[in-house]
Amino acid sequence: MGVVGRTVLFNLRNRVFLKLQDLPVAFFNENKTGDLISRINNDTDKLNLFFSQGLVQFAGNLFLMIGAGIFLVSLNPPLGMAALLPALGVLVATRLMSPWVKKKNVMNLQSLGGMSAEIQESLNNFKVIVAFNRLDYFRRKFDGANQKNFSSAVGAGLASNLFMPIYGLAQLIVIGYGIYLIAAGNLTIGLLIGFVLYINSFYMPLRQIAALWSSLQLALAALDRISEVLALESNMPVSAAGRTPSRSVLKFENVKFSYPGGKEVLRDTSFTLEGGKTYALVGPTGGGKTTTASLMARLYDPTSGMVFLDGRDIRTYKPDDRTKKIGFILQEPFLFTGTVRDNIVYGNERYRNHSSEQLIEVLRENSLGDLLGRFDQGLDTKVTSSGDSISLGQKQLIAFMRAALRNPDLLILDEATDNIDAVTEQLLQGILDKLPPSTTKVIIAHRLNTIANADEIFFVNSGEIIPAGSMEQAVDMLLLGKRES
Amino acid sequence: MNNRKQPPNAGLFGLLKPYSKLIVTLIAFTIFGNALNLVVPRIIAHTIDSYGQPTFVLRTVLIEFFLVAAGIFTFAYLQSVVQTYAAESIARDLRTKLVAKISVQDHAYIQQATPARLLTNLTSDVDAVKTFVSQAFPSMISSIFLIIGAGILLLWIDWKLGLVVLAVLPIIGATFYVVLGKVRKLFRKSQEAIDWLNKVINESILGSALIRLLNSQHYEYEKFLAANTEARSISLSILRLFASLIPVIIFFTNVATLMILTLGGRFVINGSMTLGDFTAFNSYLAILIFPVIIIGFMSNIMAQATASYQRMSPILEAPERKHTGEIKADLQGDISVRGVSVSFGQKAVLKNVSLTVNAGTRAAVIGPTAAGKTQLLYLLTGLIEPTSGTVEYDGQPINQYEKTSLHQQVGFVFQDSILFNLTLRENIAFSTTVKDEDLEKAIATAELRDFIDSLPQKLDTVVSERGTSLSGGQKQRIMLARALALNPRVLLLDDFTARVDTTTERKILENVHNNYPGITLLSVTQKVSSVENYDQIVLLMEGEVLASGTHKQLMETSPEYVQIYESQRSTSHYEPVHAK
Repeated sequence: MGVVGRTVLFNLRNRVFLKLQDLPVAFFNENKTGDLISRINNDTDKLNLFFSQGLVQFAGNLFLMIGAGIFLVSLNPPLGMAALLPALGVLVATRLMSPWVKKKNVMNLQSLGGMSAEIQESLNNFKVIVAFNRLDYFRRKFDGANQKNFSSAVGAGLASNLFMPIYGLAQLIVIGYGIYLIAAGNLTIGLLIGFVLYINSFYMPLRQIAALWSSLQLALAALDRISEVLALESNMPVSAAGRTPSRSVLKFENVKFSYPGGKEVLRDTSFTLEGGKTYALVGPTGGGKTTTASLMARLYDPTSGMVFLDGRDIRTYKPDDRTKKIGFILQEPFLFTGTVRDNIVYGNERYRNHSSEQLIEVLRENSLGDLLGRFDQGLDTKVTSSGDSISLGQKQLIAFMRAALRNPDLLILDEATDNIDAVTEQLLQGILDKLPPSTTKVIIAHRLNTIANADEIFFVNSGEIIPAGSMEQAVDMLLLGKRES
Repeated sequence: MNNRKQPPNAGLFGLLKPYSKLIVTLIAFTIFGNALNLVVPRIIAHTIDSYGQPTFVLRTVLIEFFLVAAGIFTFAYLQSVVQTYAAESIARDLRTKLVAKISVQDHAYIQQATPARLLTNLTSDVDAVKTFVSQAFPSMISSIFLIIGAGILLLWIDWKLGLVVLAVLPIIGATFYVVLGKVRKLFRKSQEAIDWLNKVINESILGSALIRLLNSQHYEYEKFLAANTEARSISLSILRLFASLIPVIIFFTNVATLMILTLGGRFVINGSMTLGDFTAFNSYLAILIFPVIIIGFMSNIMAQATASYQRMSPILEAPERKHTGEIKADLQGDISVRGVSVSFGQKAVLKNVSLTVNAGTRAAVIGPTAAGKTQLLYLLTGLIEPTSGTVEYDGQPINQYEKTSLHQQVGFVFQDSILFNLTLRENIAFSTTVKDEDLEKAIATAELRDFIDSLPQKLDTVVSERGTSLSGGQKQRIMLARALALNPRVLLLDDFTARVDTTTERKILENVHNNYPGITLLSVTQKVSSVENYDQIVLLMEGEVLASGTHKQLMETSPEYVQIYESQRSTSHYEPVHAK
């Protein structure tokens, strides 16, 4: 029985996690990490609890109960009916109250998720809390969530246990009433003994079923929250191929974009990138540079208009084919807890199983070997996703190596080197220059020397993407162009 | 069943001490309820024995019966209410205690304990303790009571038969004891598996964009599967251990029943036992065996709670961090770092670093990646402490300052943008002491006015957990405004210029200069051109100060500085002309 629960738990957790992997980035912008963790870890466990508490017992109990009920009635029909009626009454009442009890449980699980979200946010951002001396903030926010959880948990607990004592009461009343009827009717002692035994055989399993029922309400509440996630469909499906191919590596055609509930970030933009060239996107903060880059890699789909990759609608690519073509170094580099090596070969089928020596050789061949020297223990330097054990610049170096090793056709650098010192940056520039000539590069940067080598510069501002012509013109636009950020 | 004597449990039971009144009430209700439950078979036996006899008075029987029923019902309710309330109160207070402890720890503690584990501590581990209080504790108490009560009654009805039946108990108890010893270790591992799951889920969410760019969802799933499989195999081992108990219990229960049937049957036949007593004896055996099983399975919950509690106790016992500082004086803004070294384990991050920044001047720290620049700023905010050497403000060591007062005068703009799921107003006025005019000034200085005005809800716009709808530069400027809103005497900028375009950067620095006269500025940066005209530039490399002085001096004395300068010069004619 516990095995069933455990198996359900195992499979359910896998399914929810797999579903999360299926959902687009936008989903995570709108949902709190702590709450999602709570759904995967806590809510699923409630189902485990339900199954472990003996779903198998349920069948046995039901059988015993029905049997005892039949014997009661056949022993003495009027007496038997009188004995079963209260049980029916309580059963109906229980049934009617179910939605209410379940709602109480949903509220409790929600507040648990909310509390988990508070903890998660505060712990991940702990250094700001310390530096601004707002330890009270963490405590206050947490206390609020904790108190809310307390009230909802007490409510759910009381609601779940509401009927249990009534079953016991019904049992005793029935026995008392039976004794009364038997004595008043001058029936046999044998009937009395039989009656008492059957009543117990009827009500005992009924009480256990009632206990299972309250655990079922909790399980159903948990299932609701899990189903919410499982029912989500990615709004970025792969569509069937269409449109004739064109030469350009990447093309925006009347692309408009706005984040959910936000104002328009891109207004009807069209431009074309040609293979092997280096492009720079410049413009004031909040102008739409990162959004443009994200659309190129299909982190989001345009609100309207189309993006073409190698002449094909980007939405017709299978994720695997698309991601092989595009390397994107994000503005905020992310590392998985592990070693530098783990992070460099992350998601890289080709080098994943290379030995360290082989990998170092590969890095050398790709002129990336020197960068390893920036880590005190080379490939084996330990890193954590949340920690400060290595600097932001070092994180950017790892992200750079990770992207460069994939040999993408289109490489996008979103302020990817801005926290790296100028000397190292020159090194990176050298590496970029040595990429195959067919590689198209898109560089977003604020440091002008980073973009000085671009073949073409686009000025991105107020939702528009305009070719800026020369570097001087771009600088002029930066200085004079209207700002809306 | 006497495994309660083991030392780790003392902590768990110690936890219940402050709630002794509630607990005693709970135990009392449980015992009253169960005592009444024990009376029921007695009444029925009595009824059966006297049925048809002249001693049988229906009225008395019924009155007894309904009184007992009402009593059981009332106590069952009272028990349920007190039990829920006690368990939830204990869980809430335990969480509060944990958070109170965690929140006074320093940054390093959180990193070392890992947020994933702390999250499990505050949720799953607390839940294990809660389940113990709400389910295991009252059940165990009432079970012990039932066993003693039923045992006494058995002996009282027929001591020979009673002794035979009771002989079964120690055997069952010993089996439980052996199994529980093994299970406790597994429970600890099982909670560690939850930590692991937390970590994988958390990273898969924080890194969601990267994962989608690399189409590496299946790697994440593999990681998750590994953690989940581990969690499952531990649980199954626990289940197997418990499953091994069931045949033992069933066997000995059947032995006891057999005894009653053979011995008891003979007693009834030869007249030394009445039929009613025989029926009662059977009922009491059921009452006796059931709690034995209950105690066994509740020990499971207790073992789990003990394992969880042991995971939490290092936090609860963590020493209070001493806040000895008492100086609350207004800062002038002199910064001096004297011979400071910082190492993390074997790794030296800063080596004998000394520097002085006079009040009201502007200084810059320049250096390659991983030179220790950020750590230097962390020292100045007290986020880390030096391994040796001192950090001083106005000639007084940093730890002599009262924390609140210091943090209100030293504004720090972190390199990575960290926003809270709050309104923009609350994010900027993150410190409680911020006045409205300070908020306005900070917003204007960080050049955020236009942006905020363009939002439909202005300052009341809620920022999402990771600030995803904001651009990197906007986030960075919100971070700056947060530091400026303190109206600080000292402003520490960590690579602030990286995410802000040059024009905006220049305007902002001018604004700071105009709106915060006399502020001491220490800026970590990569851009020489931004800080050329600063009063002092410090060149930091591999944790050591290589050179310091004005731009002019460094150009003459430091070849490394010249190299950095040259590397940026190639296009510096494009950089807009700087404010004088």
